[in-house]
Amino acid sequence: MAQTEKKAGLLRRTSSSKKPLKEKVVLMYDEIFAKEDPTKNNPRFWDELFLMKVNLEYLEGKLESLDGDEVMKIKDNINSLFHHCVQALGEEHQIKVVNALQTLCALFRGVHQKNKSATGFDIINMLMGFDKAELRMKELMESLDSLLCGDGSESLKSLCLKLLLCLVTVTDNISQNTILEYVMINSIFEAILQILSDVSSRAQHGYDAVVLLALLVNYRKYESVNPYIVKLSIVDDEPTLDGMGMVIHHALTEYNRQYKDKEEENQGGFFSTLTSMVGSMFIADADEKLSVQTNEAILLALYEAVHLNRNFITVLAQSHPEIDMATTPATPVPASPTTPLSTTPPSLDMMNNPELPLDPNLQTSNLLITFLKYSSIVMQDTKDEHRLNSARLCLIILTCIAEDQYADAFLHDDNMNFRVNLHRMPMRHRKKAADKNIPSRPLVCAVLDLMVEFIITHMMKEFPMDLYVRCIQIIHKLICYQKKCRVRMHYTWRELWSALINLLKFLLSNETILLAKHNIFQLALQVVNLFNMFITYGDTFLPTPSSYDELYYEIIRMHQVFDNLYCMVLRVSTNAGQWKEPASKVTHALVNVRAIINHFNPKIESYAAVNHISQLSEDQVLEVVRSNYDTLTLKLQDGLDQFERYSEQPREAGFFKELVRSISLNVRKNVSLSTMSQDVLLKEFSSIS
Amino acid sequence: MGDTELELSPARLEELQKSPSTSSTSTTSSLSLPSSPSSGPRPLTSSSPSTSEGLPTSSPPLDVISEGVGELSLVIDTEVAKKACQKVLQKVKFLKADGELSSANSEPVLVNGTAHPSEEEAEPVKNVRRRQKNNSSKQSWLLRLFESKLFDISMAISYLYNSKEPGVQAYIGNRLFSFRNEDVDFYLPQLLNMYIHMDEDVGDAIKPYVVHRCRQSINFSLQCAWLLGAYSSDMHISTQRHSRGTKLRKLILSDELKPSSQRIRREMPQPPPSCPPTLHHSQGMSEHSLSPSKRTHQRSKSDATVSISLSSNLKRTASNPKVETSQDEDLSSSSDSLELEAGTPVRLTPQREFIKSLMGIGKRLATLPTKEQKTQRLISELSLLNHKLPARVWLPTAGFDHHVVRVPHTQAVVLNSKDKAPYLIYVEVLECENFETSSVPVRIPETRIRSTRSVENLPDCGITPDQRASSFSTVPNYDNDDEAWSVDDIGELQVELPEIHTNSCDNISQFSVDSITSQESKEPIFIAAGDIRRRLSEQLAHTPTTFKRDPEDPSAVALKEPWQEKVRRIREGTPYGHLPNWRLLSVIVKCGDDLRQELLAYQVLKQLQIIWEQERVPLWIKPYKILVISSDSGMIEPVVNAVSIHQVKKQSQLSLLDYFRQEHGNYNTEEFLTAQRNFVQSCAGYCLICYLLQVKDRHNGNILLDSEGHIIHIDFGFILSSSPRNLGFETSAFKLTSEFVDVMGGLDGDMFNYYRMLMLQGLIAARKHMEKVIQIVEIMHQGSQLPCFHGSSTIRNLKERFHMNLTEEQLQVLVEQMVDGSMRSITTKLYDGFQYLTNGIM
Repeated sequence: MAQTEKKAGLLRRTSSSKKPLKEKVVLMYDEIFAKEDPTKNNPRFWDELFLMKVNLEYLEGKLESLDGDEVMKIKDNINSLFHHCVQALGEEHQIKVVNALQTLCALFRGVHQKNKSATGFDIINMLMGFDKAELRMKELMESLDSLLCGDGSESLKSLCLKLLLCLVTVTDNISQNTILEYVMINSIFEAILQILSDVSSRAQHGYDAVVLLALLVNYRKYESVNPYIVKLSIVDDEPTLDGMGMVIHHALTEYNRQYKDKEEENQGGFFSTLTSMVGSMFIADADEKLSVQTNEAILLALYEAVHLNRNFITVLAQSHPEIDMATTPATPVPASPTTPLSTTPPSLDMMNNPELPLDPNLQTSNLLITFLKYSSIVMQDTKDEHRLNSARLCLIILTCIAEDQYADAFLHDDNMNFRVNLHRMPMRHRKKAADKNIPSRPLVCAVLDLMVEFIITHMMKEFPMDLYVRCIQIIHKLICYQKKCRVRMHYTWRELWSALINLLKFLLSNETILLAKHNIFQLALQVVNLFNMFITYGDTFLPTPSSYDELYYEIIRMHQVFDNLYCMVLRVSTNAGQWKEPASKVTHALVNVRAIINHFNPKIESYAAVNHISQLSEDQVLEVVRSNYDTLTLKLQDGLDQFERYSEQPREAGFFKELVRSISLNVRKNVSLSTMSQDVLLKEFSSIS
Repeated sequence: MGDTELELSPARLEELQKSPSTSSTSTTSSLSLPSSPSSGPRPLTSSSPSTSEGLPTSSPPLDVISEGVGELSLVIDTEVAKKACQKVLQKVKFLKADGELSSANSEPVLVNGTAHPSEEEAEPVKNVRRRQKNNSSKQSWLLRLFESKLFDISMAISYLYNSKEPGVQAYIGNRLFSFRNEDVDFYLPQLLNMYIHMDEDVGDAIKPYVVHRCRQSINFSLQCAWLLGAYSSDMHISTQRHSRGTKLRKLILSDELKPSSQRIRREMPQPPPSCPPTLHHSQGMSEHSLSPSKRTHQRSKSDATVSISLSSNLKRTASNPKVETSQDEDLSSSSDSLELEAGTPVRLTPQREFIKSLMGIGKRLATLPTKEQKTQRLISELSLLNHKLPARVWLPTAGFDHHVVRVPHTQAVVLNSKDKAPYLIYVEVLECENFETSSVPVRIPETRIRSTRSVENLPDCGITPDQRASSFSTVPNYDNDDEAWSVDDIGELQVELPEIHTNSCDNISQFSVDSITSQESKEPIFIAAGDIRRRLSEQLAHTPTTFKRDPEDPSAVALKEPWQEKVRRIREGTPYGHLPNWRLLSVIVKCGDDLRQELLAYQVLKQLQIIWEQERVPLWIKPYKILVISSDSGMIEPVVNAVSIHQVKKQSQLSLLDYFRQEHGNYNTEEFLTAQRNFVQSCAGYCLICYLLQVKDRHNGNILLDSEGHIIHIDFGFILSSSPRNLGFETSAFKLTSEFVDVMGGLDGDMFNYYRMLMLQGLIAARKHMEKVIQIVEIMHQGSQLPCFHGSSTIRNLKERFHMNLTEEQLQVLVEQMVDGSMRSITTKLYDGFQYLTNGIM
């Protein structure tokens, strides 16, 4: 601070200060906003400007307060300010660079806040002038690129990234941000990659870099060629991809940890449970406490990486030591849970260490496991918009993963067993499973568990139809892989079957309400076809012959549901109407299930009659099933093992547009240049200057 | 006189050796003939007899003999020394024969050589020359033996060890050069142990050979360094530091023993095809120039990042990729000494670092409490290791030259051990001509195996933005170009959605209600539910019996899987699998265990195997290779297609005989009988081994059963004079449980008689060549603190177990007694019970 004062003092001698109450820099801003050329009175105006601490609020406010005509009048001065900012970036004097970066940020923000209605071209004209725009932006991007890639100060790099984040998020709709066209032409992709590939810079700036990349990829994604998409899709440098994975992994882990802390906090002791119970009497949503704000930006980055870059799939399975468990005691838990988008992600020190730390309690983890845990938390509560979006995105990512051959291979790898502690919603009728008892299994079991968990916990009035459809699709894709590759998972399929049957039951009982909003027949068809997969192709992927018997047992036991479903779809399909077609598909799909029920039920009844048993035990039913297979004929249905590949366009385009918009808003809100306090910077640069 | 003798052409020499009768007549000539030190095909044969008159002008092919060791001067030295040695020998032996052998007579016979090879050999020459004059050349049986064709490496080692005569030792030291490398390699532990622990004369005799080989081969250098370290460890710490062994080890590890002149060395092994290396070289270069510059850049970058985690040692090399490449690719052209200087540090380091990181993993694993955690940690550690591969590293246990390209980390398993953490890894390698000179394979990214969406097909980053834009503008939407990206297998599953829908509409079944009975164009396919169920059970039955996954015994499943199956499976899942020279190897990494006894056992087993083969006794044993890295670490070549009897019994819950029937079919099937015969032959072999070597700790966890029915004993931690905790269990000669006998078909069966007969034959054969076996053990006894040499009577007892004094009839009785004794042995059963109680081994 002393230094600034000293500097200010030095400057005061050279320039004439009329209003002592106003900051020097503010006065200089005023000069810019006057119509005259500021260098007229002071040829060293620009040099001096960048030596002074930026007053962001004032500058932004000033820009905002101007109306269109006024702006046009001072356009030359603003152009000149922009130009000098860009020039200052190349200065050796780092204070100038810092101030220039912050000034640029203020310029971008101020101009956009003001000109909500103005077109992108107007803004460009105002900032840089049409004729110079291309050149100025090129210079700017090149300066940023060299700052990011150079050996300079880390704070400067951080500031560069924040400026870029600021630039990318100035508009609500990223695709309307015309300035980004120049960012497309003058790519900083390589700089981002370099940050991610380097261990130390990744730890400090990885989060911002990943978010920036995720946003840039979404610039006019569907309308034009976005070079960032192209480049991201062909990256195959493992350290870089790993680095990206680590950043995402860390962010998700951090979220999981925060959630766990909160959860434990909430369950801490009898008294707190009592108070929370009392509290919950008055506050409608006691769960609110438990919901840590989701981090959609990082999830979007994960999605883009998984969706665009095939090589990234390997990163998912890259093992890391579990960070959350190990560091919880080590690193001080932040007093207030940091909002996920505050652009200084906490404790990235783990990522600094390339050697795996030696800790016997450490569970090995990987990005996929962390993601599954994260998903299990996010999916618990889909009531508010953000969480619903996050859950949707999680399912979309899982869809992409389930479609990928390589990912499937390691999901099903018998040698890669993990304990995945998924979070389960506390429900009245079931106890919280003790975490430690989860066996170590191939990862696909965890995915299936997650899907089953989702199915049984979301049968509610606000029925998340599209999430259910995605969920069933994921299961279907996994089973298709198992069938094709003849992988026999020792999974408790029974849980899945009963979850699916319960889902059908729910659809039936809420038919009228649901039908008003959704095409429940599509979902029902998917579910029934899953059963068809098991019935007709069970020999290729079921683990044991008895599991095939159990499938029949489960169908027979719950035959009422299938009977009712059949009656319902038959009724709907005989009536003319919009549901006639989809409902009739379900009737066809039910063929085999009905054949099974019609075949075995009489047999079981006669068995009971012959043996004089009123209620047959499971073993007895299984016995009947086993001895009567041969007289049952099934019909092979086509296309059971085929699925539609995920494609973002056109179906998901709307969702992603909205998502990116909300992320942009969030990032803009949280990008704070003030986090980089002048003190810190001065301290850092005092020796240099 | 010596000169004239020298004039004899090598052809003549060979002739003479072929016909002992002639040689006996022309004693004088055969006596002083230099035994050529050339290794491999002798180029000497081409030299004319007249040329060899003057020693300095000795024929050019002699250069070949010297290989990298030095220039002409050294060649002469060896030649002269050899000749001189023979003279000395003659004299000494003559004296010996007269029974006048005294230490006095060998007065200044040998001069202690200094570290410098040329000096070392120069001096004896003078001495010997002096000696030559007053030596009367008389017939020496010993020399005749040495020059006879029968004289093999085993004898050489034996004389080297037993002879107290420096001249003889020096002669044999030189003679080592004439044996095949592989033959000498077998006795490397013995040679080095002698070097470390015996007097200086022996050491001086051995050193030139070792140095010579070290210059030739990185692998040999490292083996030597490791063995020297391991066998020096028993010395007192103060003496150890200044011992010869430690010095030589340092010398080797300092990497000063590089080929003295690379150019010469290059040309030596392959003189005519001097073009192939250059051709190869150019290929390597073209490969590089073909690949986008971006890739090479990235590779070096990744090298650098990776090296961070390695020690600074490797970092130095990795951060200097130019040096690496210059060594890799410019070997043929690098005659420049400066470049060699720069290139040297990389010679040994990559492999040392590789081994070090494997050992490091073992150490870290040992700290983890559960098997499951160990396994997970192992997998993740290995996946990190993968980032550093391919590299100029190899598995020393393999029988061919190769480069390690990838460790399929998910396949690795932690082996059963109570407190240590030995683990088994599979290693993908690419076979190559010579791992020192062939260029290291280029890294293929993990995902490349899917070859779809292949990176090359897409515009590279190198293209200018507008070019890229234009090339991509044809494909405006990335999702739509999925077809181009995914030639995945899974692609087969994807069918356009409309098609599915029409299909499912077509399938109107007979069961379906009358409501829609329209357009039935396609015949529906019906299947019987019974068939599905049947197929399911059949398929499960047909898959080879696998073991169930048990987190407490992760290795059981991995070991049970047939090797070929595993190779196929891993090959499918690796980006290198398509390469024709791809091979899969496996290795057990042991950390915290002393493998020197294992190595000794391996040598004895190998020797016995050779003996039995030679004597045509159909005993079957499987010596597995051991690599001693230090006194508490090493690697073991796993026995493939074999699981321990403990695992068999625990997993199958069957008796051994029933397991045989399950695996090989019923009693009279061909498969069963073959397996049974294999069992008997291996059982007899190992019973003899167990008896001769007094192998203890024979619980079922230490006996493997392979897929062909052989048993294989592993873990020779307790042999000769040591036994576990000396509880007095296992007093019988060897382990022969009634279960084993059942598999052989019972006590009265033919196979059991066959078993006893094999034992007898095997013992007789072993007895015949006892010396070869004893020698291996005896030399290692020297200076050793190993528990197997505990006490003073180890060697004597070992000798006694060969029962040289018994007649064959008496031997037969002895075998009968041992078999009966072992059968009845209560201690075997007790020991199994004890193991079950303490370690849960069935």
